[in-house]
Amino acid sequence: MPLPLRYSIGSLLARRVRTSLTVGVIALAVLATTLFGGLVSSMKRTLASTGDPRNLIVMRKGATNDGSSAVTLAAFQAIRFFEGVARDAAGQPLASPELVVQPFFRTKSGSARENVLVRGVEAVALQVHSDVSIAEGRMIRASSGEALVGRGVAGRYAGAQLGSELEFGRGSWRVVGIFEAKGSSLESEVWVDARELARDAKRPVPYSGVRLRVAPGADMDALARRIGDDPRYALEATRETEYYAKQADSANTFLLIVVGLAVLAGIGAAFGAINTLYASVQARRAEIGTLRAIGFSRGAVLVAFLLESLALALVGFAAGTLLAAIAGRAVSALLGGIGFAVNTFSTSVIEISVGLGDCLMALALSLAIGIVGGFFPAVRAARLQPVEALRKG
Amino acid sequence: MTKYLPFVWKNLTRNKLRSLLTCAAVALAIALVCLLMTMPAGLRAIVDTFANNTRISVHNEAGLVYPLPYAYIQKIRALPGVTGAVSWTWFGGVFEIEKGVTFPNFAVEPEHIPVVFDDYEIDPKQLEDFRRYRDGAIVGRATLERNHWKIGDLVTLRGTVFPIDLSFRIVGEIPNQRAPHFWMNREYVDQALRAIGSSLDFLGIVWVRVDDPQRVEPLMREIDAMFANSEAETASETEQAYFKNFFSFLQGLVVVILIVTGLVTLCIVFIAANTASMAVRERVGEIAVLRALGFGKRLVFGMLLAEGMLLSAIGGAGGALLALVLTDLIRSQAALAPQMGPLGNFIVTPTIFVQTLFLALFIGMLSGLVPSFGAARRSVSEALREVV
Repeated sequence: MPLPLRYSIGSLLARRVRTSLTVGVIALAVLATTLFGGLVSSMKRTLASTGDPRNLIVMRKGATNDGSSAVTLAAFQAIRFFEGVARDAAGQPLASPELVVQPFFRTKSGSARENVLVRGVEAVALQVHSDVSIAEGRMIRASSGEALVGRGVAGRYAGAQLGSELEFGRGSWRVVGIFEAKGSSLESEVWVDARELARDAKRPVPYSGVRLRVAPGADMDALARRIGDDPRYALEATRETEYYAKQADSANTFLLIVVGLAVLAGIGAAFGAINTLYASVQARRAEIGTLRAIGFSRGAVLVAFLLESLALALVGFAAGTLLAAIAGRAVSALLGGIGFAVNTFSTSVIEISVGLGDCLMALALSLAIGIVGGFFPAVRAARLQPVEALRKG
Repeated sequence: MTKYLPFVWKNLTRNKLRSLLTCAAVALAIALVCLLMTMPAGLRAIVDTFANNTRISVHNEAGLVYPLPYAYIQKIRALPGVTGAVSWTWFGGVFEIEKGVTFPNFAVEPEHIPVVFDDYEIDPKQLEDFRRYRDGAIVGRATLERNHWKIGDLVTLRGTVFPIDLSFRIVGEIPNQRAPHFWMNREYVDQALRAIGSSLDFLGIVWVRVDDPQRVEPLMREIDAMFANSEAETASETEQAYFKNFFSFLQGLVVVILIVTGLVTLCIVFIAANTASMAVRERVGEIAVLRALGFGKRLVFGMLLAEGMLLSAIGGAGGALLALVLTDLIRSQAALAPQMGPLGNFIVTPTIFVQTLFLALFIGMLSGLVPSFGAARRSVSEALREVV
């Protein structure tokens, strides 16, 4: 016959100080891990905008992002007419030449300057970037000194709002629209006319990359191979989905730290829990002896102690994740978002948001702490000889 | 006081399992704290170890990726008070294509490096080689170690900004574990560009060395005024300000890391306090006997406190050593960390090492304070009555 659950819970409540210290240890381990985990998963979400499975990104061979790549005008003119590139209704190829530059932007408070990714585009960009949609205002017109700002940029920097003059580079640009991109890092960008940007940045090579929409039914890999094999341009075409997955990889270093943090903090907390429960077994020898004497089996005692430890872990988990969700929001709000940069050193802004995945990781961590922390003491309790235990107690 | 140490030690080893577990838990947490502390420390170290108070960075006012005309450097060199100026132009070379740009590589003028960066302590013989061999390169130790290169190696970088691939011979190193730089000869890059009908007629940043710290401020104003209203206006900053601005985007991350470090520290306090309270509670009778035998309150309090401190000091030392091993392991993984900039150096400096040891000692003291005080203060007769 199993011991009632009330027994396990009651035992915990009988030693309040010790129980709350142990719960505290587990909660802190969970809080630390979840907070950092929330940060990293926000990073990953931002970076891993899925991309369009129909799109190819063309860059110079070896370039890992379009911020450090170069594509000549001749190369662009050639590849846009390659077979397999989709056409719009008017018969124009859906090939978007783009120039990426990172000028300084002044934050609203004026205290800091940050590198912001500015993308020079042509009108076709909106057709090729299928994730991007204009939320307010309209698309920029060519050669008119207009800018389109991402949702993440709007409001963070001086002048980055609809109708204002935005100053960066050598000139001043009028913001005519705000765009959204399903929460991806594109929302931390500013879009202007490609030719104007090249002039402003005095770029000898007009473009840094090209995005291509592949025609329905066309062989994507064949097109990519043809671009990559062309000896004239030394270019390389990658699937957009692959490119973004690779960008998200750069958050993996942080992910590794999160896992390390979880493991180390988890083991530490498990040791703490083992200590508490061993002491608990020690103090309750007589009680355990009595239980065994009145007929509860070894198994029942083992389960009761394991349940005790699991209950500790679950309370720690609940407290830890709740605190992490609150703390994450508070920290993001206080800092006005957490900036980070990948490869290009252009700033992306994120918030720490604790997601379901982070909670599941925390749950797994707490269960592991509970099981490992409870197992050895539970075995010791179950092994007690009733007669011995009663005599000594 | 030391004569009581064996007694304290005896008490610690009485419940070996508990002491061991507590010690291990403290060690793991301290290792974590150590590891986390290397990240913000890396950022601070950049400013402290690289930044020199007589070096100025001059770059385009619009942004670091905006070039400056190459002629600017001659005008800057001609200013009174300037002892030397060298330019850095981003080459954007990639070593292994699949990994992408993993270290900053710049075209520089080798003959001006010794004056402007004399504080980098580069071997004069290597600097001489750098000047002599057109394909020479000087590489920071961080990048050398990460790629398992040594002096004399030949490496090929594929240009991503320029359509050229160049082979270099590593002729020297910047002897600093945090230095990721890869310097190449500007003329070598220029000639390779000329071969394909282009040329290098711009620069990225000019590093200016000034003879007198007092002259830094006026000289920065002078330089910016000289290029005001020209095609490319400049912004001058002290080296310290430059690095602070460059890495300002990491500030938010640093705050999060510090918070997490604090949480882990608090975690240790809880673990240690739990153990201390258990140790004291079990020994109520024993402590009463000690007191009855004539041991003073203070002595008993001190011994109990020493027990907790000793335990966490041992754990702390073990943790700090573990952190040393872990960081070595992390640094040897070339694929890791380049995106993290100076946060990814993972170097446990002697300062961090000592700080964490003191932290452990302090935690041991803090966690033992309440239970030890309570136990020492307890009335002897009452405690004895309760037990017997």
